[in-house]
Amino acid sequence: MKLPKEAYQALEDIVGPEYITQEPEILDTYNQVWGNKFFFDEKHSVRPSAVLLPATTEEIQAIVRVCNQYQILFKAFSSGFEYLSLSLLHGKGILLDLRRMNRILEIDAKNMRAVVEPYVSVYRLQLEAAKFGLYTGRIGVGYSAGVIAAECCHHGCQHTMVFTSGYGRNVLGVEWVLPTGEVLRMGTGENGEDLFSADGPGFSLRGILRGRTGANGGHGIITKASVKLYPWYGPPEWEQTKQPGEVLSLGQLDDVLNGYKVFIPTFRNLDDTLEAAAEFCRAEILYALGIGIIGAEVIPEGNDEHWAMIQKMQNADPDQREGLDLFKNSVVLVIGGQSQREIEYKEKVIMAITEKWGGSFLPQYNNQRSLARAFADIIWSTGVNLRATGDFLPSSSSPDGSPDMLKRLALLEGKVKEKYEKSGAFMPVGSIEKRMVSWRPEEHLSIGAQGISTAIYDPFDPFSLKAAREFINELFDPRSQFKRFGIPSRGGCLQIEPVTHVHQNWGHLYDHYDVWLRKIKKMLDPNTVADWTAYIPPDYPDYPKEGDYVLPSYGKEENNF
Amino acid sequence: MAWQDYVHDMQRCTRCSYCKWIPYRYVRNTNFMEGCPSISRYHWHAFSASGKFNMAYSLLLERIEITDTFLDILYKCHMDGSCDISCKVQQDLEPLQLMQELRMKCVEEGQLIPAHMSVIEGLQKEDNMMQSLKADRGNWAKGLDVKNLTKEKADVIYHVGCRYSFDKELWPVARAGLNLLQKANVDIGILGAEEVCCGGRAYELGYVGELMKYAEHQREAFQTAGVKTLVTPCSDCYASFKVLYDKIGKKLGIEIFHITQYLELLIKTGKIKFNKKVPLKVTYHDPCHLGRLGEPWIHWQGKEKKGLGPMIIHDPPKKYRRGANGVYEPPREILRRIPGIDFVEMYRIKEYAWCCGAGGGVIDAYPDFAIWTASERLKEARSIGAEAIVSACPWCKRNFLNAIKETGDKIEAYDLIEIVQSSI
Repeated sequence: MKLPKEAYQALEDIVGPEYITQEPEILDTYNQVWGNKFFFDEKHSVRPSAVLLPATTEEIQAIVRVCNQYQILFKAFSSGFEYLSLSLLHGKGILLDLRRMNRILEIDAKNMRAVVEPYVSVYRLQLEAAKFGLYTGRIGVGYSAGVIAAECCHHGCQHTMVFTSGYGRNVLGVEWVLPTGEVLRMGTGENGEDLFSADGPGFSLRGILRGRTGANGGHGIITKASVKLYPWYGPPEWEQTKQPGEVLSLGQLDDVLNGYKVFIPTFRNLDDTLEAAAEFCRAEILYALGIGIIGAEVIPEGNDEHWAMIQKMQNADPDQREGLDLFKNSVVLVIGGQSQREIEYKEKVIMAITEKWGGSFLPQYNNQRSLARAFADIIWSTGVNLRATGDFLPSSSSPDGSPDMLKRLALLEGKVKEKYEKSGAFMPVGSIEKRMVSWRPEEHLSIGAQGISTAIYDPFDPFSLKAAREFINELFDPRSQFKRFGIPSRGGCLQIEPVTHVHQNWGHLYDHYDVWLRKIKKMLDPNTVADWTAYIPPDYPDYPKEGDYVLPSYGKEENNF
Repeated sequence: MAWQDYVHDMQRCTRCSYCKWIPYRYVRNTNFMEGCPSISRYHWHAFSASGKFNMAYSLLLERIEITDTFLDILYKCHMDGSCDISCKVQQDLEPLQLMQELRMKCVEEGQLIPAHMSVIEGLQKEDNMMQSLKADRGNWAKGLDVKNLTKEKADVIYHVGCRYSFDKELWPVARAGLNLLQKANVDIGILGAEEVCCGGRAYELGYVGELMKYAEHQREAFQTAGVKTLVTPCSDCYASFKVLYDKIGKKLGIEIFHITQYLELLIKTGKIKFNKKVPLKVTYHDPCHLGRLGEPWIHWQGKEKKGLGPMIIHDPPKKYRRGANGVYEPPREILRRIPGIDFVEMYRIKEYAWCCGAGGGVIDAYPDFAIWTASERLKEARSIGAEAIVSACPWCKRNFLNAIKETGDKIEAYDLIEIVQSSI
């Protein structure tokens, strides 16, 4: 729908005519994101009334005030590469594409932090920080994801979290445009000073700002954030290269970068693998931890080449096949250090733990090329998860618990997934006969893991899509066999209220956390203008449909508001 | 495949936005990490390849129509293929082919850009894209002692293309190229006023019929002339002869060389020798049509099928053009061999080079955008301390010269032919 003329004019006056649009051809490129088909049953979510490209905090503040004045929903985003990052509850809503706010404002090497605007990507900050011997971690996202989105707004976990931590722990001061249009600067930023710390003299509010799963744009816009940086032991610059005639995706580092070492031990079974992984984490020596399949495998250039490789493996003689399948009980360990002595110490620890759990270092994984590949993929990103079938769902979002719990869940979830894989609805990780349990460590494994059973499914194949929905339901419903505890979420680790009624259906089962969450939403957003489709509504809608994936109005009735 | 046949790609574009950047693992300088001039200049997602997938899907579902805005977005694009390369590092999708098909659909439906209509009218009347008289086409070679292939026989034809034929400022380059080949005793000739457009640029604008027509004409003309080999100093023409004619099933049946490839052979076999030093710090700009767009066409006919559950594969297996087999080394090899040249690389090179700004009809319809794109490239060249940017295409040189004039940039723009000539 079109905005009232005076509302549009007010918005245009703020950013100028070049940076606002209500052209349907352009608007319809702001509502098609991966995952939409899973949630809304169609690629398009609601078409926004307008999209704006603001350049400053002041512009955003003024825009939000107009939204309050005319009761217009708003949501801001950086790359937009995330479930529901562009979804709006209804058509009287605008999106703020923050790509013009793309400056790294400061890299404070002495205090190991950076101040960035929303469109600064994680990889860009990593490249710049490396010049100062620093590094920023990332959540489970690709290269293009924004630092602020990752640190302040979304859930996700990744391999370096064992060293860089994650979630609210890396956020220092922020500049935050509240849904009322007020600007809140947290901590030391309160009186206009540097955003050095979130912990006073002003409010911290990091728990509210971010919590575990993030508000996903549901309570305002972070326009500037100061984030922690961690040591980078490698050189200030590096190159990934390929041979002439080779495709770009095959490019990689010639060797693990100086300052780091990589080891890929293989264990006898999943039990030993997880026990050893937990012990590696507790030893506080790792820079990154991942599963073998992430790193050591050279990912073929396309699906057909990948398919050929799988077939070759399956047709190999049994001994060779056994060897190839060993990656399922392998882990990638990255260590780094300021000195040779530090690295030597860490290496000794790795050897001791590996020996204790009966592991060995197989030459097919521990050669120079594999190790370099593993290093790059774990420290940065492979980013090809969506190619095989078009989508994937990590089944478990952070089961809080010990390696024992991780193992138990992994095995149980694996059984659930097996039936979908055998039916042909999901692509198996590994092979049908040698299925592997995939998992990602979250911080020190003492907290949990994500992606225990990744469902690799095709959203545009009705059979596969149906299976993905059933699978997620089976795993996440707290009344199911897993009796999941913790903040509930479904695929993508977000709280997808209008679609799944997560909070409404399950909140009472989790100590009524939702009551407090709704109070926070009401307090921050009295006029309910910050879109809450990936957060929580101040009041529940009166049309809950348990287990229903698509609200009757959602994505269908753009004028229903 | 028609544009609707790319529905799979439209649905499966994830909005990862990798199409906006050069492939991330190759980023070496964060000031030069963008790959797509359109999204970099115009910001709206629609201007990216992902946005084109989105627009096409909406069009398919009849959520939108082809309007002036649609055309503006579709044509403010150099069709340089950078997005296609970056996308294919992660995905099996074909953004460039979809954009090509969308343009063809627009033309088919009479949804045209006025500036391009004039160019195409000129082409239809005068057989060139420069809105000039056909009779003047051979003027660039006036006074040269060269075989006229309408009257004499030669092994090799030197096809300069529309830009060299009518852009007087560039005539010395076209002449120098011919001169180099003649000095190396290549049995060479030209068609002079009878040379016609390759049709490639028209095809990029969506006029597929023009490409068909000129492909047939060229085949006949070259057969009549009895040539075995074609050498062109124009990268656009190279891509047309080498790639597009094959794509539409109209292969010429003779050997096709870009002049840099041919010169490299002559240098390696000692037929061209460098005698003079060229004391210049230069960088090389890969023309899109010689690089990623110059990669041979890969024919494929088959169907999508599933393997290992829902994995999307093809029967027979489909090989995608991912840019690896463009012409990248010959021009670099030549520069490395020229005495005195200090050759330095920019940050965006080969498959992931930034476009010069002239392609896809932008130079005709949106000259300010063409200049903007070229200026961005000149900034990159300057950032590595280059005194000159060397390319291997008249369209690149023309657009760089325009940008230098417009911005007052102090950098020099040369064609590789000029550098080779200076060293002999």
